[in-house]
Amino acid sequence: MKTLPIHGQSPRQPGERALWTSLEDLDGTARGPEGEFPHGAAEAPAALGRRSFLQLMGASAALAGLGACHPPREKIYPYVKQPAEGLPGQISHYATALSLDGYATGLVLTAIDGRPIKVEGNPAHPASLGAAGILEQAALLDLYDPARADGFRSRGLHLAWRKLLEEIAALAASHAKDGGEGLAFLLAPEASPLLADLRRRVQARFPRARFRVWAPLAEDQAAEGARLAFGRVLDAQPRLDLADVILSLDADFLSGPGDALRLAREFARRREPGEAMSRLYVAEPALTITGAVADHRFRMRGSEVAGFARQVAGALGAIPAEAALPAGREARAVAADLLRHRGRSLVLCGPRQPAAVHALGHAMNAALGNPGETVHHTAPVLGEARPEPGALADLAREIQAGAVRTLVITAWNPVYAAPAGLDLGALLAKVENAIYLTLREDETSRRASWVLAASHPFESWGDGRARNGTVTLQQPLVAPLKESTTAVDLLAAFLDEGNRGAREHLKALWKARSGPAFEASFERWLEQGMIPGTAEPAVAAPVHAEAVAAAVRALPAAPPGLEMAFARDYSLADGRFAPNAWLQELPDPVTKISWDNAAYVSPATARRLGFRNGQRVALSLPGRSLEAPVWIQPGHADEAVTLALGYGRTADGPVGKGVGVDAYRLRSAAAPWFEGGLSVAAAKGEHRFAVAQGHFSMEGRPIALDFTQEQWKRESHELDELRGPEPSLQEPVDYSKLENAWGMAIDLGKCVGCSACVVACQEENNIPVVGKAQVAKGRIMHWIRVDRYFQGPPEDPTVIAQPLACVHCEAAPCEYVCPVNATVHSDEGLNEMVYNRCVGTRYCSNNCPYKVRRFNFLAWRGEAAPTEKMLVNPDVTVRARGVMEKCTYCVQRIERVRIEARARGARMGPVQTACQQACPAEAIVFGNLRDPGSRVSQAHRDPRRYDLLHGLGTRPRTAYLVRIRNPNPELG
Amino acid sequence: MSPPAATAAAREALQPPRLLPAGITDRQINDSLLDHVWNPRRGWWTLFAMALAGTGLLVMGLGVTLAYGIGMWGNNQPVGWGYGIINFVWWIGIGHAGTLISAILLLFQQRWRTSINRFAEAMTIFAVIQAALFPLFHTGRPWFAAFWLFPYPSTLGIWPNFTSPLIWDVFAVSTYFTVSLLFWYLGLIPDLAALRDASTSKAKRIAYGVFALGWRGSARHWQHYRIGYLLLAGLSTPLVLSVHSIVSFDFAVSQLPGWHTTIFPPYFVAGAVFSGFAMVMTLMIPARKYLGFEHVVTERHLETMNKVMLVTGMMVSYGYLMEHFIAWYSGNPYEMFVILNRATGPYRWVYYAMIFCNVLVPQTFWWRRARTSIPWMFAAAVLVNVGMWTERFIIIVTSLHRDFLPSSWGMYFPTWVDWSIFVGTLSFFSLLFLLFLRFVPAVAVTEVKELRHELAHEAAHAAGGHR
Amino acid sequence: MSARTRWVLARFGEAEPLLAAARALRQAGHASIDIHSPFPLPGTAEALELGRSRVPLLALCGGLAGVGTAIAMQVWMNAVDYPLNVGNRLLAGKPNMVPVMFELGVLLSSFAIFFGMMGLWGFPRPHHPVFEVEAFRSAAVDALWLSVEVKVEDAERVAQALRGSGALEVEFAPEVEA
Repeated sequence: MKTLPIHGQSPRQPGERALWTSLEDLDGTARGPEGEFPHGAAEAPAALGRRSFLQLMGASAALAGLGACHPPREKIYPYVKQPAEGLPGQISHYATALSLDGYATGLVLTAIDGRPIKVEGNPAHPASLGAAGILEQAALLDLYDPARADGFRSRGLHLAWRKLLEEIAALAASHAKDGGEGLAFLLAPEASPLLADLRRRVQARFPRARFRVWAPLAEDQAAEGARLAFGRVLDAQPRLDLADVILSLDADFLSGPGDALRLAREFARRREPGEAMSRLYVAEPALTITGAVADHRFRMRGSEVAGFARQVAGALGAIPAEAALPAGREARAVAADLLRHRGRSLVLCGPRQPAAVHALGHAMNAALGNPGETVHHTAPVLGEARPEPGALADLAREIQAGAVRTLVITAWNPVYAAPAGLDLGALLAKVENAIYLTLREDETSRRASWVLAASHPFESWGDGRARNGTVTLQQPLVAPLKESTTAVDLLAAFLDEGNRGAREHLKALWKARSGPAFEASFERWLEQGMIPGTAEPAVAAPVHAEAVAAAVRALPAAPPGLEMAFARDYSLADGRFAPNAWLQELPDPVTKISWDNAAYVSPATARRLGFRNGQRVALSLPGRSLEAPVWIQPGHADEAVTLALGYGRTADGPVGKGVGVDAYRLRSAAAPWFEGGLSVAAAKGEHRFAVAQGHFSMEGRPIALDFTQEQWKRESHELDELRGPEPSLQEPVDYSKLENAWGMAIDLGKCVGCSACVVACQEENNIPVVGKAQVAKGRIMHWIRVDRYFQGPPEDPTVIAQPLACVHCEAAPCEYVCPVNATVHSDEGLNEMVYNRCVGTRYCSNNCPYKVRRFNFLAWRGEAAPTEKMLVNPDVTVRARGVMEKCTYCVQRIERVRIEARARGARMGPVQTACQQACPAEAIVFGNLRDPGSRVSQAHRDPRRYDLLHGLGTRPRTAYLVRIRNPNPELG
Repeated sequence: MSPPAATAAAREALQPPRLLPAGITDRQINDSLLDHVWNPRRGWWTLFAMALAGTGLLVMGLGVTLAYGIGMWGNNQPVGWGYGIINFVWWIGIGHAGTLISAILLLFQQRWRTSINRFAEAMTIFAVIQAALFPLFHTGRPWFAAFWLFPYPSTLGIWPNFTSPLIWDVFAVSTYFTVSLLFWYLGLIPDLAALRDASTSKAKRIAYGVFALGWRGSARHWQHYRIGYLLLAGLSTPLVLSVHSIVSFDFAVSQLPGWHTTIFPPYFVAGAVFSGFAMVMTLMIPARKYLGFEHVVTERHLETMNKVMLVTGMMVSYGYLMEHFIAWYSGNPYEMFVILNRATGPYRWVYYAMIFCNVLVPQTFWWRRARTSIPWMFAAAVLVNVGMWTERFIIIVTSLHRDFLPSSWGMYFPTWVDWSIFVGTLSFFSLLFLLFLRFVPAVAVTEVKELRHELAHEAAHAAGGHR
Repeated sequence: MSARTRWVLARFGEAEPLLAAARALRQAGHASIDIHSPFPLPGTAEALELGRSRVPLLALCGGLAGVGTAIAMQVWMNAVDYPLNVGNRLLAGKPNMVPVMFELGVLLSSFAIFFGMMGLWGFPRPHHPVFEVEAFRSAAVDALWLSVEVKVEDAERVAQALRGSGALEVEFAPEVEA
């Protein structure tokens, strides 16, 4: 272990070198010390990179060597000294990164025998803080997707790598003549300094080449808003841990792009009862996870948020009265609350809101004296790589004009995600060389004349920047499973440097930017996964009040009638994760629908229109129409319909095809997020949703409890009947003799319901995907689920999320009914499931009051592709058909820690379960109840602690902490 | 016109309808009751073919289940048990009447039992065979369940868990089947001897001779036979009560609202006898016509059985009543919800079907006309069978599908495999029954002869008493 | 003196003369006398002085053996050989041992009864000399028979005596070695 470049590792003794330094030994740039030749290693080199499982296993022995992206293109020599990582079954951790929406999140990947099997957050990285979201974690499944694009082809002809480079070189040469007149690039927003550098160099060679940046869910309005308010584009960097009062204007900051993980952490830190507890106001159309944790949620159509903002701004005096609107009761209360917390309040605007509202937000923060306190501003981290609103339209116009001979597309799937009415597919046919770099064969690759398979981030070298600017390094863990390349190599190819390898480009860039001793520091950076001290510096940003006022005055009033709203999907983002079975099956954090999107309407609107759940309706906007099934969503704004983007794929692998409906077909360039004048009509047919939760009301049972601060002061004693010893005929087993008694605590006050724990558990414990039909039958396999309950009026309910896995009862009802002793108790208090003893009577599941047991009704795994087998965590049994399974408290992790402790002859260190580790809000705590100092012991002693279904006397080891809300008394 | 004759006539008038026609001889009894073995009734082959076809359905259903897994059934989270266990409990219940009739009525010296006990015992054994299929095949891995449920020194070094009601089931059901079989066969030996000695061909004589084990009707045989038969009856009586009590423990021992109920054991036993008698009627009414047994299985028998159905039906109704009352009286919101959900939830129509069939239909037997009308009693018997099936559905499915945490509530829908297995067991049951009617005396010939002897004896005494 | 014997079979119409004849033969010192009837005939046991049946004793032993086995098995398996913490339950809780105790008791007791009787009867024994007499077959249908095993030379005399005591029909089974 000690030679791993894992972040946070104690500094190495002089002379000792991190694993990956052997790259020098490997790629021939440096000579390794002479030594005995390990037998067997002789076969390692040469043929690596063919996509065969065996060779990859062999390759894993030379893991670091494979770091270089294109094995056939980089010489690989066997180790001179076999590193510890070579030992079979030995875990290694590597710091790397994944960029989504252009911003990088630092990750630590676990590899075993050279196979990356687990994604975790990089604790040192500002955008992760050790947590990992559902997308970052599920990206690992994409790596092993057998349906990934493979190889390179031009006009249907397969090209070998070298041939491809020659072709592109020829192409580049031909464009170089006229300075790149007919050359255009459509890039994805990407904060990568390396790509920016290459772009500059390409631009230099082709002065007249056009670079355009585009993404379907761009935050271009935010940029415009900053330009309005500050006169230039700036990024706002909020600090929720410093904010006492937060007003979110349609900002789902707990899930959005960039640094949702950090924001969730900071937000949760302030959700403990007491004076220090923060208060969150949310104004939004459809219920989001952020809205669900709000102390006050004002539901309004997306177009009405601007009006609400103007009311609040007016009451704050942030804008001149004539630009403001007369404040209603709610706006006045919010404004008063914000004013009470000058400098410790915060106004956030969602990317869906028009520029003027963003500007208004800046103005309000300024008026509240927040800049420099709870928010500071920096130069845009994306730099030039910011998406422009008109990018696609301009490109289309050029293509129409025949001004584009060669178009290089690294942006994701423009043909599918282009706004309605812009038939990019047809236009691509007009482009002589449409070169498309893609992870999968999709809607765009069908129309492009050149299709180049892209390497997965976990297979390729690169860099990126966190939302706050910190430069983050992306190092590969495995040789590309498919013949593929990267955006870096593709751009480099236009400089005739395509064969240099991304790693060399990366090193060259940073060698140039950093002083001497580069090698040593680069080594340390890789180990940490980032380059410290590269965060963007804050800049003073005075707000141009009159410009803002002018923009606000120009805001149109909210149009009457039904409004169509589009939303980023929690699990598919803009749709690029549609082929990801984990994310498709992951129930939506709010609606619990899996394998579908739906047209959300409020109960009142549904009543008015006479719609039922699952009924198909035709949504029509001028010139466009789409059929979608209705889902009645409590808490949704009236007279509005929300539809998530990213579904209804027609290509892109077997998983996502035909799941849900394609909202892009309704989405216009002019109104990408909200559009009035929607008309709906009932259509033929019912749609059967696969909903992972049976019922959304607690039926008055004490299950997921929440109190307001006021109630809590008065009624906290009510919890006493939900904890403490219960009378029992059976003498409780004494656990005090052993070193460990494992337990867990889940803080409902911190949990934001993001479901990161679900994906983490699925990845860690080899949990199978069952598909829509089986989910609908009630056979979903997730070991931990996040229950979502609604309380109060269905129109405007309070919402609470409750993660629930096996609670490991000390008096477990599941155990005594098992006829074959297949589920029994360990002496450390784990409720153990013995798979090879189980005959599958399902009696345990019937007798489990929490219904957390999962049964293998069919052979869920079927015939797994070789690459999919690489994903399996060897520490966890792959369960057979006919066997019961459930949460084990990650017993394999407990045992790993125990074994390592034994090896060192030390006491066991802390154990982290997968769900706990992934949780951005630190809502899940696991540990040893015998150690009074452990966080879990403290949580179990917390006055907010209670036991689920305590009256049954099951004595669960997982305790819950009630949620406390902090509503504004004025609005109470 | 002598007074004794008059009193005799008067007494005759007071007697209940005869169990046997007057003046019938042993030879006549013998021939009439064995006739169906020597001369198969018309249409037997047709019925047999139908039953065989239906059994094919069972084989297919189980085959599919073994090939693809329990996922082919409707079971899910939270409803871990569905048709499999419903059918198991239903068949086991039916399997109770046989032993009850033979054993308990024997101990109470109910003479009318003799004409129907053989029949009922056979039904018991065939029903238990159907029942025994389900606990095995409803498991996820039957190939292991088949032996891991028994205490044998396995390579895993681990033993069954004797706190689990499922293990009790294994012992109860296998014991019940074995004992019923022994009891039945013991009673059969003298009749097999009669068959052997009345055989018309050498082959038959040898065949039945082998099964008769060499019975010579000797005084020594009879001496042990009578006491042994009585003892087995004595053992079977508590056994019958224990089996369904233990089956009810599967539910009562759990902590699930709607299952965790102390009234279950007696209430299950009553239900078992109820359904068992109903099934005997369902089979007996057509069979006595088909085999021409009206002279031994008389109207009086049928009426008496209807009375038993009325009584047990009342017991079952009382069980329902108490279930509802206790749920309300306990004040436990979960218990109350289960009852409410049964009456008003998505499965309410099953619940009302159960009330109609098990509570209302038997009430008609207060009236003699209903008790003696063959078509009605047949219809009623069938309805009660349906009703008892729905009762098990209600107990198992409605308790599971909405339990403690609303988030994990769900619905249960059976699949075509569930149905084909259920219909398949019905056919397999009929198949075995047809074989029984074809090769074994359907009525205990020997006991009928004994009964005739006793009746004659008493008559003689009665007459003698007056001289 | 040859040791060859043969069975003399006599059919009676009524029970009383049959039992009388049986008693007479016993007084005459014949050992192996038997009465055959299609249904249990009252009084036969007394007439032949058979004494009490040992089947109840067997039943008792079987039952006790079953209960004992059940207790030993459950305690040893769950509490001694492989003790496990199962849902915090007692390793050898008494109440949950009862069902198996009862069932095993009944099972072994029934086995004792059934197979005990088979032993006492010497079953299975498909063949017996008396079956050689075709007329004797009616014993299983509707007739009462008395059978006695006598020395070959005595056969006629015994037959005469039986005819005298009211037998409707007398038959001789073939000679057999004693």
